[in-house]
Amino acid sequence: MTTVLAPVEGAAVELAAVPDPVFSAGMVGPGAAIDPLREPGKAVAPIAGKIMKLHPHAYVIVGDDGRGVLVHLGIDTVQLKGEGFEALAAEGDRVGAGQPVVAWDPAAIEAGGRSPVCAVVALDADAAAVSRVAPGSVRAGEELFRWL
Amino acid sequence: MPERKVTVVADVGLHARPAATFVRAAAKAPMDVWIAKPGRDPVNAKSILQILALDVQQDETVVIKAEGDGADAVLDELANIAGSP
Repeated sequence: MTTVLAPVEGAAVELAAVPDPVFSAGMVGPGAAIDPLREPGKAVAPIAGKIMKLHPHAYVIVGDDGRGVLVHLGIDTVQLKGEGFEALAAEGDRVGAGQPVVAWDPAAIEAGGRSPVCAVVALDADAAAVSRVAPGSVRAGEELFRWL
Repeated sequence: MPERKVTVVADVGLHARPAATFVRAAAKAPMDVWIAKPGRDPVNAKSILQILALDVQQDETVVIKAEGDGADAVLDELANIAGSP
């Protein structure tokens, strides 16, 4: 069982609420999303492991058991080409669960006309293996969902 | 083993929607399906984790391989997805 932590502070919502069908339809995988607090913050690692991929707007952490979790900061944020994001770690680094990975400002993303909603996806997981998300406010580093 | 070489043209590369669509199609195939950057070790095309790790950018070329009954149809579909804008 993997406990997946909230990478950012905000309101936990179902993945279905993400305004991007790639995530809302579960095409990438099951998981949850967070409507983030609109203030500058640090997105943290949802699990302990190695940073397998680090883009400015998204990252994948792979645990020692081979399970990977994707954190995608905002919708269509790949178009920003890194502007507004600052990496706080490097690809290949080992991180603890809850360790800061990327600094960003959800309010600035929103001001630029994009949704800052943050998708957290259990990669290659069966939908049934992810517990339902308890909606409500979460802080970065608190439990978001469980991956059985 | 039958293979297709295809250049990824989507501006996001093989990420986001193209990656998810590609993996979904590959996962339906009855046989193993592999994808590689030329000269590199192939990865499991049915794994979104491995596809994201492969990190294929726009204008990069990939080789997709599969073997067995229906492999050509599977490869044609996957090459079409990977080669779509």
